[in-house]
Formats: sequence, C-alpha cells, structure tokens
Amino acid sequence: MKQTVLSVLLALSVTIGYAQPKIGDMAPEIRLKNLAGKEITLSDLKGSYVLVDFWASWCAPCRKSNKQLGPIYDLYKKKGFEIYGISLDEEEAAWKKAVSADKINWVQTREAGGWYAPVALAWGIEQLPTSFLLDKTGRIISIDPSAGEVELVLRQGLK
Amino acid sequence: MKQVLIACLLALFGLNANAQFSKASLQASGLTCALCTKAINNSLEQLAFIKSVKPDIKTSSFLIEFKEGAEIDIDALRKGVEDAGFSVAKLQLTGNFDQLAVAQDEHATINGKTFHFLSVKKQTLSGEQVLTIVDKNFIPAKEFKKYSKSSSMSCVQTGKAGDCCQKEGLSADSRIYHVTI
Repeated sequence: MKQTVLSVLLALSVTIGYAQPKIGDMAPEIRLKNLAGKEITLSDLKGSYVLVDFWASWCAPCRKSNKQLGPIYDLYKKKGFEIYGISLDEEEAAWKKAVSADKINWVQTREAGGWYAPVALAWGIEQLPTSFLLDKTGRIISIDPSAGEVELVLRQGLK
Repeated sequence: MKQVLIACLLALFGLNANAQFSKASLQASGLTCALCTKAINNSLEQLAFIKSVKPDIKTSSFLIEFKEGAEIDIDALRKGVEDAGFSVAKLQLTGNFDQLAVAQDEHATINGKTFHFLSVKKQTLSGEQVLTIVDKNFIPAKEFKKYSKSSSMSCVQTGKAGDCCQKEGLSADSRIYHVTI
C-alpha cells in the first residue's frame, strides 16, 4: 500500500513538476561539478551558444555523437560556443574512461542517480542522447539537433 | 534410527531443492538502442521483486538485481520489456543452488516452479550457477527453433505442461520454464 502511494506521488511529481523544457523556454538552471570537481553554472555561459548534452558511457549513439561534436566544438569554441555535457553514469570510473576515450574537451559533468538524477528529472530526460541547443540568452532554440544542424546554427549565428 | 532420520532429512532437502535467484542479465532488442531509453527501466522497476535495473556496457545488457527472498516472475520480466516496446533477446538468471540434479530433457523443481533443462549434461548444480531461459519470446526465433527440436515434449512449444507431465502431478496449465546452462 505504502509503495502504491509512493509510486502515485512519484508519478504525479514527474508529470506536474518535470515536463521536458520546450523550444522557446529559458533553460532551467544547472549547477554540477566538472571532472576537476569545480562547480559549473549553466547560466554563467550566457553570451555563447550552448549545447546541453545528456549522455552516458553505456549509450552507443551518445558515444558516436561525442565524436561528431569534437570537430564542431574545436571550430567554434573560440567564437562563442560551449557544450555542457551531463553524464547519467552511475559509475564515476566508467564516465571518466569514456570522457578520455572520446577525447571530450568541453564542460563535462555528472550527477549520480541515473535516470532519476535530479538534473535528468528536471529536464524530463526519457532517452539518451537528449540535447538542447541554447542561444546566447539561454533560450532553447532546438531539441536533439544533429551535429549538422548545430553547425548550421553556429555558422549563421557566429559570423 | 539416527541414520534413518538423516536420510529422511536429506530426501526432504533433495525434493525441495532450494535455489534462490539473486540477479539476472537481460538483453533487449528493438529498433533503437534499448539501454538508451528510460522505458524499460520504468517498466521493470514497477515489478515488486526487482531491486534495481542497471545498464552494463560490456554486454549491452541490463543487470537486474532481485529483492532477497522475493518470488521471481520470469514472465513478468518479459512482459515488462515488451510493454516498453522491445523484445527479450537473452535472459540469464543467476542463482545459488543446493545439490540440484538436472539432466537433458528432464524437469527439475526450483522454488516450487518447474524448469525443463535442454542441451545439458547430467549433473548436479551446486553454488552459483547461471541459467539461460530458452522459451519462445525469450531468445531469437532461430535459436528457439534449435532448442525446441531437442525435446519431443509438447511443453517446449507452449511453455505449459499440457498432457506431458501428468505423472509428475503437474496440471495442464502449469507453467514450465525451459532453460539451458
């Protein structure tokens, strides 16, 4: 009985509190620690285009996406582009190994809890990869853009 | 007298071959990456006997931990995966066995449920062992065909006792799980 009540409450809180942000919404704030243990605040990146990228080491399509994002990041980083990576890995070691294997050199954070990590619930993450492209003001302009779509926006916006 | 008593006790334990399944490894297949969706987690975590569901990158499987002492419903696991829009490609159960005698094309009782062993040598299972379910819809159709040919009993096709096991006292609609080692 207690479990039923709990699961109903959980279901309610998920539907009421945590719908996935939509295009046009301002990005919910994120404050997570990066690989070096330093807290990185999403809103501090305003002024740049930001790709908020949810992934995990065990997600094969995410790993492929990491490799596609690498060259785009290198090309546009200095012009005003940042990637805020958020791993849902439960194992810190698996996360670090994947970051180094995929040569990730952008902001890389992790929050424990897997699918139920507070940040994953707040952003309504149901599958991986899920990414949100934010404009310079922190507004969501695209959800799950392909690497090509990200590059197109950057090429036009960061002339 | 003492010896008789011990023999009786041994016989009792033998009959009740107790095995506790502690965990499982489950591979799901579908049109998209099964590990990458929350749907299977959502679906399986609703089952009362499941403690946790975690992805394992090495085997592209879900590692499922069962609650201690809980009754494991193998069909509910399959249904959970199917409700999430995927199918089971492989399900392996890890259990702790206490002197369970098994043989090719023979039934054995584990925690009150009937398991039909296929493609195995006659042996006694002790300690931690992994059983692979080879019932229909638990493995790819091609593999199922291979396993179903290794027995002439009708329960292989249906997963139900039917008329093949009346002498064991199993009613026709008793579920029989087909497994290999």
